[in-house]
Amino acid sequence: MAVAFLPQGADLTDHPGADQLYIETRALRLQGFLLFLISDCVLFSSFIFAYLYMRNSGQGWPPPGIQHLDVAFASLNSVVLFGSGATMHYALENWKHGHFNRYAAFMLATIVLGAGFLSGQAYEYNHLIFDEKVTWAGSGIFGASFFTLTGMHGFHVSVGVLYLIILFLQSIHGIYTKDKFFGLTAGTLYWHFVDVIWVVLFSIFYLI
Amino acid sequence: MHIDLPTLERTIAVIGGIIVAVVSAKALKDDWATPGIENHVFKIMLGLLFVGAIIAMLAGIGVLGNFGKAA
Repeated sequence: MAVAFLPQGADLTDHPGADQLYIETRALRLQGFLLFLISDCVLFSSFIFAYLYMRNSGQGWPPPGIQHLDVAFASLNSVVLFGSGATMHYALENWKHGHFNRYAAFMLATIVLGAGFLSGQAYEYNHLIFDEKVTWAGSGIFGASFFTLTGMHGFHVSVGVLYLIILFLQSIHGIYTKDKFFGLTAGTLYWHFVDVIWVVLFSIFYLI
Repeated sequence: MHIDLPTLERTIAVIGGIIVAVVSAKALKDDWATPGIENHVFKIMLGLLFVGAIIAMLAGIGVLGNFGKAA
């Protein structure tokens, strides 16, 4: 395969076969990224089903001594994250149509909303840990499962925000073009993924 | 007029939920005919985003969840 003979780190932007190489490898990279998302989905699923199993095998939920979570604030924080999914979608759409200024505005809005969601989660953790004395290790199944799953999701969102910042800087420096923007597609897929995971987590922890 | 914090959070959640639901539904409609595996995945994600926005809106209204109880 031709790719094997290219030196590592070589700048292929102006290479005569760069377009063909991009076309040939794009499908593979997309498959690889989708497999990564599926594996992440399996990871979350295993924790979610473990949580649901433990929850249904106990005596009522939440356990004695632990009150219900603050649904009002969680709804607001959820809307912030879901809103960032919409702005990310339109960032990619505007990039595809060559509207850089609109792309930049939507991308920055996504980053700000993602950071806003993380701030909200930090506020909620602070309230739970210091005001309600709910901790990961000291509150039984509820604390362990809540902090593990929402913490794991929060980690994914943190990585996502960093990823989006890197993508934005790359796009400013001309790494992507109107026709070659797989990084932005992957970033949008990842961001939608963390949104969708939160739909499930929000429902199982706050609503049922 | 005095508005307490949970009411303000609920109001923003409901308004935001409606906006996100409408925007995601419009994006889904616009992308409906686009081919390619990533676009099919986007459509699934946008559909779930729409569902999430509706759930958050209903939670804000108080239809879902135990709204208003402190953590």
